[in-house]
Amino acid sequence: MKRSAIVLLVVLAALGLMIWAGVVNYHKRQQDEAKLKQFQSMVAATPAQPASGAEDDGFNPNPLQGQMAPNFTLKDMNGKPVSLSEFKGKAVVVDFWATWCAPCKIEIPWLEQLNNEYAPQGLEILGVSEDDLNLDNKAEFAKEKQVIADKANELKINYPVLIDDAEVSTPYGGVENLPTTFFINRSGKIVASSVGLTPRDEIVANIKKALGSGGQS
Amino acid sequence: MRRLWWAVVIAALAVGVAAAQMLPWQARTKRPQDVTYLYPEQITVPAGREAVIELHFRVNPGMHINSHDPLQKELIATRLMVPDTSGLELSKVEFPTGSEYALAAMPSEKLSVYTGEFVLKAHVRATAGQHLLQGLLRYQACDTNSCYPPRNAPVAVDVIAK
Repeated sequence: MKRSAIVLLVVLAALGLMIWAGVVNYHKRQQDEAKLKQFQSMVAATPAQPASGAEDDGFNPNPLQGQMAPNFTLKDMNGKPVSLSEFKGKAVVVDFWATWCAPCKIEIPWLEQLNNEYAPQGLEILGVSEDDLNLDNKAEFAKEKQVIADKANELKINYPVLIDDAEVSTPYGGVENLPTTFFINRSGKIVASSVGLTPRDEIVANIKKALGSGGQS
Repeated sequence: MRRLWWAVVIAALAVGVAAAQMLPWQARTKRPQDVTYLYPEQITVPAGREAVIELHFRVNPGMHINSHDPLQKELIATRLMVPDTSGLELSKVEFPTGSEYALAAMPSEKLSVYTGEFVLKAHVRATAGQHLLQGLLRYQACDTNSCYPPRNAPVAVDVIAK
């Protein structure tokens, strides 16, 4: 009888813990959604924020910010494997995009210019294509890959374009908005991110932030 | 046996607590649909003769989806996918013409899109009886800042042929 009471107590305590965790999680989610919406409306309505402002505004649109960037190995358009870990010591911009994403086509030319401008300081940009791929059908896969290659050529992308055939976006929070861009500092930590079309000045500020922190190689 | 019971209880509780503590970012895996099928839910058509069913859809405010004929080849066209149904033949689907749209930052690149409510005309021929016209509307949505991966919105119409 006494033992049953203890078991019941433990079960009730655990259930209470689960309910508490669920409520806390729900509130956090609501807050994050409100912040995300606020962020998107800010992007649409206001000019760029200075880098220092982005750092000090006390609002973090992405829970990965401040954490080590999840590593990945993906193939580039020539089939060569490229790992994020290869770029330790450099600042890396990981830009998730797709051929069917119109706002991405606005940001990509900016990234190309910024690649030219900041590569000598140690910047590396990786464009990760989120186009749907038919991995079960080689012929279809080749065709879809060609569409990505054609678009990359048309946009004159001057940095590696990687094919996300391994759902690399999942550890990055299951990227659903395109473009979504992560700014990674020289020691591999995510120092900023942007969701959706972001003003050029804000991208520049985030690049400077990534270049300026995490120590030199 | 009692040890096994304990192990099951502890494992179930651990899984429950872990799931509840999942990061909000991870928990938010699926966005709601950007397009909703509105009506009809049920329609009566003449048996054995071609009939046109008007399928009404709504795109969420602030969003747009590519029309059936996007102006750029890489854009994903809206289409209706309906599997073969015994006794119900879908011969043709008419899509409305898209309206012209351009992003403020790219005014020269015109897009052909659907916004708000739009109607597809499905040409069907059904044998006498009750049939379920079930399908998926494949679409790819964007707002002014972001685009979202292609999704499928379910469509279901109860077709009564008399």
